Amino acid sequence: MDFVLQQFITGLSIGSILLLVALGLSIIYGSMGVINMAHGEFIMLGAYGAWALREFVGLTLFPSLIFIFIAVGLIGALIELGVIRHLYRRTLDTILATWGIGVMLQQIVRLAAGGDLRYVQMPPSLASSVSILGVSVSAYRVFIVIAVAALFLVTWLLINRTSIGMRLRAVVQDPSIASSFGIDAGRVRTMTFAYGAGLAGLAGALVAPLKSVSPEMGTGYVVDAFFVVVLGGVQSLFGTVASSFILGQLSGVLAYWQNDTIAKALVLLIIVVLIRFRPQGLFVTRVRT
Amino acid sequence: MATTVNFMKSKMKTKTIMQIAVYAAVCLAILLLPLYAQDDFLLNRIARYLVLAMVAMALSLSWGYAGILNLGQAMSFGIGSYCMAMALKLRTVPVHTGTEGLPDFMVWNNVETLPWFWKPFYSMPFALLAGLLIPALIACILGWFMFRGRVTGVFVAIITLAAMIVLSLLIIDQQQYTGGFNGITDLAQLELFGIVFDAYSSNTYFLVAISLTVCLFLALALTKTKGGLILQAIRDQESRVRYFGYDVALYQTAVFGVSAAIAGLAGMLYTVVMEFASPTFLSVQLSLSIVIWCAVGGRQSLLGAMLGAILVAGMQGALSESEVFLESWTLIMGGLFVLIVLFLPNGLASLVDIAAERFRRRQHDATTQDEPAPSAELSEGKL
Repeated sequence: MDFVLQQFITGLSIGSILLLVALGLSIIYGSMGVINMAHGEFIMLGAYGAWALREFVGLTLFPSLIFIFIAVGLIGALIELGVIRHLYRRTLDTILATWGIGVMLQQIVRLAAGGDLRYVQMPPSLASSVSILGVSVSAYRVFIVIAVAALFLVTWLLINRTSIGMRLRAVVQDPSIASSFGIDAGRVRTMTFAYGAGLAGLAGALVAPLKSVSPEMGTGYVVDAFFVVVLGGVQSLFGTVASSFILGQLSGVLAYWQNDTIAKALVLLIIVVLIRFRPQGLFVTRVRT
Repeated sequence: MATTVNFMKSKMKTKTIMQIAVYAAVCLAILLLPLYAQDDFLLNRIARYLVLAMVAMALSLSWGYAGILNLGQAMSFGIGSYCMAMALKLRTVPVHTGTEGLPDFMVWNNVETLPWFWKPFYSMPFALLAGLLIPALIACILGWFMFRGRVTGVFVAIITLAAMIVLSLLIIDQQQYTGGFNGITDLAQLELFGIVFDAYSSNTYFLVAISLTVCLFLALALTKTKGGLILQAIRDQESRVRYFGYDVALYQTAVFGVSAAIAGLAGMLYTVVMEFASPTFLSVQLSLSIVIWCAVGGRQSLLGAMLGAILVAGMQGALSESEVFLESWTLIMGGLFVLIVLFLPNGLASLVDIAAERFRRRQHDATTQDEPAPSAELSEGKL
């Protein structure tokens, strides 16, 4: 029993990180059809933000989160205004443009902070481990699961229960009709992109204590996040949750059965097969078109 | 009406002749280059760019002409390069290969006998065929799997990307058979028909240049056939082509396979030029770079994609060497790339079309005859 629980918690931990990094991408891709390859670099910026605020200002992780969210969100808004805005008619080209942006961000950080690995300290209050039904788990990982749940809840409420979210949903369904009702579609998109970028920044700051921080760290995340979002289904936040949960558990089990590399390969194969048979994603919310 | 059609036909014919002339001129320039550049080191580097140009050209065939955005192009490239590396590894002097001719990394990993899938690579013809056909076969299976399910756009990109990552993970994981992270190094020199292809020699340069020329013209011929036209139609309006009764998946799978075979050949040549094979040859980085080269040069032009690769890879090489740009070349490349995607969606090759269009319009204004104005679709023809 302990073993099953241990496996479940490992899977949950992997899944929560997947959801954390995929949430921002899911919103951007779901509402605008933009495949943001620079998402990984937003995550990286968040992680560097956490490191820099600790190193130069002396802030601990929790207060820095607010600044990181705002700063990365602002960068996202600028990128939307400067580049993405002009590509809504050719969404496949956004893969290329955002990749170029990602390369630039990576290099800027490398020039500014150096290419060395950086480490972000875990908040001391969460450095211990807690026991859940007799299984010992790192407190920080438990915290991440809770934080992800909270972020998801906030995002869901924002989209489904506020007037800003209603405007966003209107623009997603039909930009021209939304505009005719006086909604500034451009502004809604800028804000959505900024919010997605901000979430990525938070994700980066939160995973930073678990991994080492380097300019290249984003590349791996963006590919994983990409798979999670597509598997979950576009425009479906719950789909993103479910697919990150499934992929997390799957990686956990397969990694126990084989090794990490083989597990990753198998998970990717499963994703390929799933996408082939359900390109619309596992969970789709019906949207009138 | 009939005269209009004739006019259009003759126009297309002159366009094709022009195109062939330009392609031939570029290839000739590439073949004549060693007359001016006799430095073997330089030749080796240019040969490297030419190989990369070949992969970019292969991607342009599937992406630009058939609308299949293959983010896993480096998979075919990598397979080709490993096929060549395995064959050349088995040809190294026994001293380097440990007991009973085992490759050195196998000895280090305590492998006792040569694994079965290495054995056929003792034969060079087999290796050459494998480098072409294995990528093509895998692409056909993958293509059949995707296109039968009418998977398009982003999903093709994801599936090809995932497939490539799977393969590279397996290669890295199976260190005892593949050399893992280090790849396969310390290779013998390729010898074909009594000619030795030293990486730093004009022999290798000509091998690469001739292969590139042949592939380029084969690909060009392919785009001019009926099948090539159907592929372009599929790119522009997939469902309409399907309603006409064409087997869309078949055409897509075929071009996907051809593109993979060219990439495989390029991979084999890359091993000869670089003198090793490594998992970086099928990395996400390289795969994206190939897409970038294509996009910069012009995805809908075989020559454009090719020159794009030479230009970008060449600039990368040159900029990263100079003191001033050592740190910032990636930044410049990234910015340049974003600008091209924004303002020149069809890449640098479309500059030629734009210039030609300007020229034509000026001529048209000068001679105010009442000949039929070239239709918009026609004048958008790609170089």
